[in-house]
Amino acid sequence: MRLELRDITKRFPGVLANDGISISADRGEVLGMLGENGAGKTTLMNILSGLYRPDSGEILIDGQSKVFHDPADAIGAGVGMVHQHFMLVPVFDVVEAVALGAETVSGVLGRFDRAVARARIVALSEQYGLDVDPDARIENLPVGVRQRVEILKALYRHSDILVLDEPSAVLTPLETEELYGIIRSLKATGTTVIFITHKLNEVLEVADKIVVLRRGRVAGTAIPAHTTRQELANMMVGRDVELVVPKGPASPGEVVLSIRDLRVRDDRLEIAVDGVDLDVRAGEIVAIAGVQGNGQTELVEAIVGLRAIDAGEMSIGGERIEHATPRHIADLGVAHIPEDRGRDGLINQMTVAENYILDTYHREPYSRRGLFDLRAVAARAKQGVVDFDIRTPSIETTAASLSGGNQQKVVVAREFSRPVRLVVAAQPTRGLDVGSIEYIHRRLVEQRDAGAAILIVCTELDEVLAVGDRVAVMYEGRIVGVLAGAEATYEAIGLLMGGAHFGGAAA
Amino acid sequence: MSAPATATHAAQGLAARRALRFARIRGVTFAALGLVLLYAAAGAFATPAVFSFWIDKQGGESAELQTTVGILWMVAGVASGAVGMLQLFRGTAFPWRRWLLVLMLPVLAALLAALLNGTSANLTGVLGGSLELAAPITMGALAGILSERSGMLNIAIEGKMLLGAAVASIVASVILNATGNPLLGALSGVAGAMLVGALVGLLLAWLGIRHKVDQIIAGTVINIGALGITNFLFLRVLGRNTELNTPPTIEPMRLPLLADIPVLGPILFSAKPYVYVAIILMLALTYMLFRTRWGLRLRASGEKPAAAGTVGVNVLAIRYRALLLAGLIAGLAGSYLSLSTAGSFQMGMSAGRGFIALAAMIFGAWHPIGAFGAALVFGFADTSQALLSILGVQVPPQLLNSVPYIVTIVVVAGVVGRVRGPAAAGQPYEQA
Repeated sequence: MRLELRDITKRFPGVLANDGISISADRGEVLGMLGENGAGKTTLMNILSGLYRPDSGEILIDGQSKVFHDPADAIGAGVGMVHQHFMLVPVFDVVEAVALGAETVSGVLGRFDRAVARARIVALSEQYGLDVDPDARIENLPVGVRQRVEILKALYRHSDILVLDEPSAVLTPLETEELYGIIRSLKATGTTVIFITHKLNEVLEVADKIVVLRRGRVAGTAIPAHTTRQELANMMVGRDVELVVPKGPASPGEVVLSIRDLRVRDDRLEIAVDGVDLDVRAGEIVAIAGVQGNGQTELVEAIVGLRAIDAGEMSIGGERIEHATPRHIADLGVAHIPEDRGRDGLINQMTVAENYILDTYHREPYSRRGLFDLRAVAARAKQGVVDFDIRTPSIETTAASLSGGNQQKVVVAREFSRPVRLVVAAQPTRGLDVGSIEYIHRRLVEQRDAGAAILIVCTELDEVLAVGDRVAVMYEGRIVGVLAGAEATYEAIGLLMGGAHFGGAAA
Repeated sequence: MSAPATATHAAQGLAARRALRFARIRGVTFAALGLVLLYAAAGAFATPAVFSFWIDKQGGESAELQTTVGILWMVAGVASGAVGMLQLFRGTAFPWRRWLLVLMLPVLAALLAALLNGTSANLTGVLGGSLELAAPITMGALAGILSERSGMLNIAIEGKMLLGAAVASIVASVILNATGNPLLGALSGVAGAMLVGALVGLLLAWLGIRHKVDQIIAGTVINIGALGITNFLFLRVLGRNTELNTPPTIEPMRLPLLADIPVLGPILFSAKPYVYVAIILMLALTYMLFRTRWGLRLRASGEKPAAAGTVGVNVLAIRYRALLLAGLIAGLAGSYLSLSTAGSFQMGMSAGRGFIALAAMIFGAWHPIGAFGAALVFGFADTSQALLSILGVQVPPQLLNSVPYIVTIVVVAGVVGRVRGPAAAGQPYEQA
């Protein structure tokens, strides 16, 4: 066995992150590691890469017990880690970024021998089919190429145990396909690959065997050929979950949100939304698909009044809102589930009850003549906690101490506590586990069936297909296609997300 | 992590267009300046411009450069026009900051000649003086570059220079009194200054790294503390025991052979040792930063410490060492003030030079050679005070004294614009 982790336990203050985890992987084997957030995947990999030391348990490489005091030890033992957030110096070129920490030097002053490093990088990228320009600056490279640089970095250090932490999180579907190709060629040369993800399709696609982690323990193992998405999902969550929330066909009514030729700039004042036309009708869910950073954030912020627009028209229920304040827009019946709940959805240091009334604190029954009616606040917040199944010790608990899923439920409970005509949900399930995703989707479908118009921004194709009645694909600030029903396939949307244009029906 | 690249193609196009627009504006501005200078030239061909240089030594024979103010204006105008044209043709790729520094030479020469209005002036002193005054600023800037490239904001250079100046004077005086050997005294003074600079550097590192004190605040505290301590020393100790504040001075040193080169020798090679040391340090640091493993790791620590940490580089050790080294250099710069200018320590004698050094660091885009170029500009601004008063230009002395500071403000606010410094400077790094 090339790599074996035996009975690894790691405790942080108040949390048992890893509880007797044992896994193993052989040469040329791809081990898929599946688990929800907080299941202990990242802790385990940080132990393997020498960033943390386990409280107990051992790491065996080729049957030999090893202790990693720091990342250098792990690298020395052949473990290469590709972090989810790339660890590359943006202003370095590829040669410098790859060689950092493992430089070839000459002379007493330690001159960096760039030519030697460059030659080795060129040779490696040819050997493994990793197409990279060694002299390009990191910050000018697309994300997919940066990931290849990260892999080169590991190979440059003679790593033959490669850990990929959520590698597809930032990739387009096409880039993800390329990544699978790279993993297969690594496997063919005898490299052991550990592929960490919470996406079910991915492990089924590339892994030879799958380990599912739940609450710091191994919940089960599986072989891709003999398992299903459903089975893996149940294993991850520990109960039966619905991967696709059942919903009937949409019955679209009148147009609620109407957008014409909208132009919006981002924080750097560059055009981010570039002439978007979109209608969302009552009783339908329109999913905006696209790789993150294609203008979705700015579009949503413009709709809810958080960002000034450059040009264009927007109306909700016929009322123009180009220059409306966020409060005015909320009063029109708009519920907003923001992309970054920690920054825009909640005030982390405030309590669940305070967060629950953030949008209506100034009104009756919460405020009377400028003073809070704390009893009314408590009563309503308690009701919200019950209605939305928020798992919190009390309504006086701070938002920061809740889990991601429960934080999101607080946001949803607040937003749905007002009469809702339009829901604008930006990546409402980002970072949530399968169980919470199921819950949020169910609530959105409920609102649709109650007659609300829903606009949801997703970066995951699975989510787009699961909830969207219509799918609008956004690329470089434009809607490049709107697909509905049978047209909305994985392939068609994936192609559009990568920038391939073809004629879709106008919205 | 920046936004995914696929998303920003359109935006990048826009940014590029904007950069191009600014490039064009700059080009046209340079060209317009050229025309203004040529216009000034037209009326000035009758006024003679006479610059002289000492050939071998101060007060010896001099070489004269005779021309007219008009010709100098014309040279400056043509140069400005040429830079403008280059900028217009080369677009955003044009390294305009560098050329702006080059362009300053003929413009300043012409301006000087115009102010002289026909009287002859000896420039050896002015140029040598600029170089000399640039030396401590260069060293301060190098200390800043070392720190910031490693990820530590270092605004305490002012304080280190001040403490260095005080300690240098005291140590040098004591050793001189004890041994009677001025050279030994001076060298001990320099060593003492460097040592105190290093200790203060370590204090800053300890506060910023170990205790994660905001680095600006830690630096400010050190600056204020240094001022307080040295003022106290001066008023309570040195004032009563003047024998503790009469150090041997460090005088100019003629470099054999090189100092005999006519005209250039007296300017460049009869300077104070600090000038030579500053230049050597500048070159050495350039090589070390950009050609060695040490430099690669240091820069990585300042740009993206997590990237260095995950490949086994000890980021915190790098930062400690960088601040130690920066402290040594800043202390050395401080010793110049008391040992080589005034001949004794005076209250608050650093007079903002540590901050001007930081301005030079920024103007020089965190590059040692750029910082030296910037320091020369500040050095010239400093000597021009003396020059202008010799010329009898009727300007209040207070205003003359503020010239270096005005130049700093103009340079930092106007000329530099946005230069990008090390991305992680000032951010504490959590090492597992």
